[in-house]
Amino acid sequence: MWIDRIALACVTLAAWEAIGRFRGSYWISSPTLVVERIWILAFNGDLWFHGRFTLAEAFGGFLLGAIPGCAVAMGLRSHPFVRAAFLGVASIGYAVPKTALVPLFILWLGVGPAAKVALVAAAIFFIVFYSTLNGVDAVDQKLLSSARVFGASEWQLLRHVVWPAVVPYMFGGLRVAVPYAIAGAIVGEIISSNRGLGYLAQFGASDFDTTLVFVSLVTVMLIVLSVSAALSRVQQRLLRWQTGSSQDPHAGAA
Amino acid sequence: MTMKRDLPETTDPGALLQLRQLGISYGTGSSGERHWILRDLNLDVRDGEFLTIMGSSGTGKSTLLNLVAQTLQPSAGQIAFRGKVVGGADMPADPGSGRQIGYVTQDDNLLPWRTIWDNVIFPLTLAGKPSASEVERARRVIDQVGLTQWKKHYPHQLSGGMRKRASLARTLAYGPPVVLMDEPFGALDAETRAQLQADLLDLWASEKKTILFVTHDINEAIALGDRIVVLSGSPGRVVLERTIDIARPRDPELVFKAPTFAGHYDAVRSCLRAASQP
Repeated sequence: MWIDRIALACVTLAAWEAIGRFRGSYWISSPTLVVERIWILAFNGDLWFHGRFTLAEAFGGFLLGAIPGCAVAMGLRSHPFVRAAFLGVASIGYAVPKTALVPLFILWLGVGPAAKVALVAAAIFFIVFYSTLNGVDAVDQKLLSSARVFGASEWQLLRHVVWPAVVPYMFGGLRVAVPYAIAGAIVGEIISSNRGLGYLAQFGASDFDTTLVFVSLVTVMLIVLSVSAALSRVQQRLLRWQTGSSQDPHAGAA
Repeated sequence: MTMKRDLPETTDPGALLQLRQLGISYGTGSSGERHWILRDLNLDVRDGEFLTIMGSSGTGKSTLLNLVAQTLQPSAGQIAFRGKVVGGADMPADPGSGRQIGYVTQDDNLLPWRTIWDNVIFPLTLAGKPSASEVERARRVIDQVGLTQWKKHYPHQLSGGMRKRASLARTLAYGPPVVLMDEPFGALDAETRAQLQADLLDLWASEKKTILFVTHDINEAIALGDRIVVLSGSPGRVVLERTIDIARPRDPELVFKAPTFAGHYDAVRSCLRAASQP
């Protein structure tokens, strides 16, 4: 299985390199040029300078979106009326394309990192909110009732029954949210910024420096892949109790 | 919040649990039409009694246990424990109050994210840090149900019979005087069930619990119970109460050899038959 993947990657890279060599690298650059440039930028500190802005915006927005998303979904559990009202409003918020809000965020928060953080948070909130809400709805009522008979308080139910049952769903949301967080930060930077990986790509394109565009793309890709891998390690550690190797949220409930 | 009142008519002073005119209904008041699931149900359960409850499906056997466990709000009547009213139509149902009731349901209801040991200890941790004697009791019941080597496993790693044992151990470790059991062995194969029935009788004899045991198996009801109660009708009420005079200790698999077995069996069966006819 791994052999297949490596072979396919090699073929693609070789084709890219070949086209770059024989038809000119002006429009599509080439893998060797990209690696060479990454090497240079990594050593002169430019990559780290821009990368850390993107990472910080994505991470900050991720926390600002995910924590309230999760908390609100959990909190609405025992308030059906508030829940119905909130869901109505949330569906409107969810329907609005978050990138359309960027001018507003810039107006309110300026062109600095705060506007990007807000954009990321707005996107992440809904993803995590809806996936956590699914988890809350799927909590086995019999487990709740049985814990009540043992004298569990509302808080203990939330802590010992609802929360562990929600975690697999929440992780499903978080894993979807990671690329969105980075994407939000990048989009924010492309629209208006003078730093960050999105700015780097934008700057490269306006300078007809195709290699620079690819450098920022590859860096973004590596960031998303490594964050997703880290998240899935945490998930496996936390969800040891689930049946077999399956990380399907329904597996534990069966 | 618990109102301490004496029950007006105490028929049996030795009763641990008394149900008086207990009823539950659903339906909205607007049309004035209420559907009663149980109505005017009177039942006394003695301290240390093993009571088996039978009835064709839909007669409210599980509902009755839910009322006693206070996971459902009664629409009429009262529930008294040791002569004090603890529940009824005029007070909000408060499950888990006083740690008097343990409930073993059809499903094992083990928390899948906790190991067997953490599941068994779970009800004890809800009231604070378990005392040394409580931990010791939990260890003892796990040993009694034969799960000592499985303490660190998760529920999905155990068979259905073992999960049922774990569920039983959890309730016994909790230490309530009254244990409600709703067809606990219904989904198990015959051999596992016979083994668990025998173990349950041993545990009942050693732990001195009062048990309300719902089953649809007449053999099981006779083999385990001191007394059988048959619920019938819509709304459901008690149509038969029969004391089982078979000597203990009993072997659930051989109980049919007892001379009075056939008499009990026929009486309960004809009652259930009559109930299921329109």
